[in-house]
Amino acid sequence: MDPSEVEFLAEKEFVKIIPNFSLNMIHLIGGDLGPFNPGLPVDVPVWLALNLKQRQKCRIIPPDWMDVEKLEEMRELERRENAFTPVPSPYYMELTKLLLNHASDNIPKADEIRTLVKDIWDTRIAKLRLSADSFISQQEAHAQLDNLTLMEINTVREFLLDSLNCMYKLRSNLQPGSRKGQFTDH
Amino acid sequence: MSDCLSEDGINQEEAEDDVLTPAKLISKLEEAWLNEKFSPELLENRSEMVECVMEQLTHMESNLQRVKAGDAMASVHRMEVDRIRFVLSSYLRSRLQKIEKFFPHVLEKEKSRADGQPSLLSPEEFAFAKEYYANTESYLKTVALKRMPANLQTVDMLKAVPEPCLDSFVFLRVKERQENIFVEPETDDQREYVVDLEEGSQHLMRYRTIAPLVSSGAVQLI
Repeated sequence: MDPSEVEFLAEKEFVKIIPNFSLNMIHLIGGDLGPFNPGLPVDVPVWLALNLKQRQKCRIIPPDWMDVEKLEEMRELERRENAFTPVPSPYYMELTKLLLNHASDNIPKADEIRTLVKDIWDTRIAKLRLSADSFISQQEAHAQLDNLTLMEINTVREFLLDSLNCMYKLRSNLQPGSRKGQFTDH
Repeated sequence: MSDCLSEDGINQEEAEDDVLTPAKLISKLEEAWLNEKFSPELLENRSEMVECVMEQLTHMESNLQRVKAGDAMASVHRMEVDRIRFVLSSYLRSRLQKIEKFFPHVLEKEKSRADGQPSLLSPEEFAFAKEYYANTESYLKTVALKRMPANLQTVDMLKAVPEPCLDSFVFLRVKERQENIFVEPETDDQREYVVDLEEGSQHLMRYRTIAPLVSSGAVQLI
């Protein structure tokens, strides 16, 4: 899966905005939004929030977890624990990138937040690399990865799944007995 | 054939079980898109869902045609239509890629399915698969086979084209709790064991064991 497709899925998450225009309820195929009144907060999907922000029709309110102290706590927790800690949002990386790129004027201490999220990401990816390595070397057949986000899974997906499939092919060719047909090369 | 959505796209009180709100339809489309993307084999055909989505899209597009330019809402609707169209095209593209990759096996499965079972291919996909088969055969014949000695001029497509590897690993998220899922050992000195899949948890395992759960909707490939 392309990272931009993961971002596409992340854009469906809801975020609060404060519009500066007024509009009745919109009936989208995916649900109803609004009504929009200037100065009153309303929940919209990120793709719409970014579009409105670019047209200077709204102000974006950062989500609750996008706060320096909370992120610092999360970073410390992530560094202390060996396992993956629960994330603030299943799309924390994409939302941080999108909101900070397009609406950094609406988000206090944007640079610090960017660094903190990057630190959390780096720690988690390092843990992921280690656990993927041990998964392959111990030839496990199953792993539970509850707190991993889609973007993190996607980073290792191709390489990990390809290597596991290659190893399976090598192993099954050692065993006697034939399978009908051959396996595809991915 | 019953319409699964009413005229103006709003859910009405109906006695049928399969009435879906447009929002649920779109989330089902996205789930089907992800499942098709990550599964090693071609999944069951969902042509009613595709038809319903197309209906919604054409309905919304015809509304947009009638609206005057510069309307604030129009661009929002257009963006949403573009997003849904992207998911739908990507879903259909994944299916076509798999049909091209595994065409003899797909056709064989379709031929040997019982009458009551749901079909693997939509009528258009079936026609495409048959044409692809015929084209590949005639291509091989023209390019190489007709120059071979007479007893080597046929190719068994089922043996020549690799079948999908159902033992590939996949990532999945559990939507409905499952008990006692069998995990086969990788090496000879490991023992097989069972796991329980809790709702909301994410796992990495072989596709083969959880394939029926994907078709039933109990797990979602991610």
